[in-house]
Amino acid sequence: MVQTRLGDGSTIEMTEEEIKADIERGIEDAVDRAKVDPLSEDEIEKLTDIYTRPSKFVSVETGNELVLTFDEGSVKLKRLAVSIGRIPDLQIYERVFCSDTAELAHVDYSFKPVKPIVAEEQIEMEQALLSTVLPIYYGAMPNLSLYSQPDGAFPNPAELLPKGKIKEAREAYEGMMEHAIKDMVYVGSKMYEAGADGINFDTTGSAGEPDFLATLKATEKLKEKYPDISIEMGMSGEFVLGMHGDLEYDGTNLAGLYPHQQVKMAEKAGVDVFGPVVNINSSETIPWNIGRTVTMMKACAEASDIPVHANVGMGVGGVPIVETPPVDSLSRASAALAEIGKQDGL
Amino acid sequence: MSNELFEKAADAICDADVERAEELAQIALDEGIAPLEMIEKGYTAGINEVGRLFDRGELFLPQLMGCAEAMKSATAILKEAAAEQGSESEESIKVVLGTVQGDVHDIGKGIVASILEANGIEVHDLGTDVAVEDFIETAKEVDADIIGTSALLTTTMGVSEELLKTLDEEDLRGEFKVMVGGGPVTKRWADKIGADGYAENANEAVSKIKELVD
Repeated sequence: MVQTRLGDGSTIEMTEEEIKADIERGIEDAVDRAKVDPLSEDEIEKLTDIYTRPSKFVSVETGNELVLTFDEGSVKLKRLAVSIGRIPDLQIYERVFCSDTAELAHVDYSFKPVKPIVAEEQIEMEQALLSTVLPIYYGAMPNLSLYSQPDGAFPNPAELLPKGKIKEAREAYEGMMEHAIKDMVYVGSKMYEAGADGINFDTTGSAGEPDFLATLKATEKLKEKYPDISIEMGMSGEFVLGMHGDLEYDGTNLAGLYPHQQVKMAEKAGVDVFGPVVNINSSETIPWNIGRTVTMMKACAEASDIPVHANVGMGVGGVPIVETPPVDSLSRASAALAEIGKQDGL
Repeated sequence: MSNELFEKAADAICDADVERAEELAQIALDEGIAPLEMIEKGYTAGINEVGRLFDRGELFLPQLMGCAEAMKSATAILKEAAAEQGSESEESIKVVLGTVQGDVHDIGKGIVASILEANGIEVHDLGTDVAVEDFIETAKEVDADIIGTSALLTTTMGVSEELLKTLDEEDLRGEFKVMVGGGPVTKRWADKIGADGYAENANEAVSKIKELVD
């Protein structure tokens, strides 16, 4: 028997045959939902090997190491109740965690609340850049929901839709998008001018396809203004939730797109690094979850002409929904995504 | 003939075609098909398919609302006929739903509310940032079967545990079943705090609620 986990983090024991069968079921689910190719028999064997090794920690063969990009880095250690400022936090990412890039972020972590304090953020960015050598992004979430009531000026589509007010909900989304684009471009411009190497749009699409479209348009505008700016786009879910239902980018309806389709939209807008998400089902086993995760992530990497860095952490990328991911699951998911999922980074 | 009508009814729901759904309900009654059979084998099959498509990103929220409207209109005609024929349909399950205090995330909770309503469940949606006492007060007022809580944050999910403790303290634990859900919530956690149910997504919430009330 081999020790593995459920998606909720609890430990379970399975035979090697059961693990392989669950990986295959997960692959079938990914193929069925995302309409992508399944993994080959060799890849299934390799994935089964990674998930049946008795080692607590699994790594990759030399030469298969990946770039490590951390989002929301300057906030995460503080969440663990470590008394630390944002700049020492970034230094730890650079010098202790060996991160290849880091991200300065504000605890509110959305572009809208950063707007009135952007001058303070510029100072922090300048000082961070003077005391580190790794590329530093400034990151926040587009968070379109902040533009509707009670937080914003527009009527709340989540309240309008159940009342059947579809036209009004769509108009609200369209207004919210315009405001969000302005804020993303404003904050992005200010932080780039303060020296940031790039901007990370994190958790894109959390309010559905209007959120995704606003971010694509903000990317276009920033790229037009600053051709050398690096834009990273991390997604919020494995498919783009259709909240408006009728929004297109480059002739493609954005609702319902899976990672291998999302990345083409991101590329078109000018994104430099794409961070796909595949969600965890907490009631299924980790072998089932990793089967579907690797299948969708591999399809995304193969479709992409830009670097793809899978989101791997609490509840995404084959990692259980627990605040501090267990090393057995995290290391296995990382190895699987590097060696089978064809990712450029994590 | 009945099977064909059931399929057409299911299609009308998937197409969000209110007029067609109502027309088919009338045809079923004219042909002597039992109203409750038409609901179960026709319209409910349709709304189940709608839920499945939504869960896979193949159908979007505005369309879902249209499907729910078609379901409500057609089943209203059939339920009225069933009552007249003396074959009472089951009383609607009542759910009080909300995002817990301190948490303002409403998208996922709203989707759950819509899918539940589309399945004929009476939903009292309290919105976001809902205090424990407000959940309980409303549940008492509407004589709810179930209180459903949603939390997207690890920092707010504990409010559901407070709700359970308060229900215990007020000797109301036996009155209402409590279901929990949301991004960081898992079945293991639901079991740990003593909740009656947990659902991974909106579709699963429908079947879990029906199981709990049965």
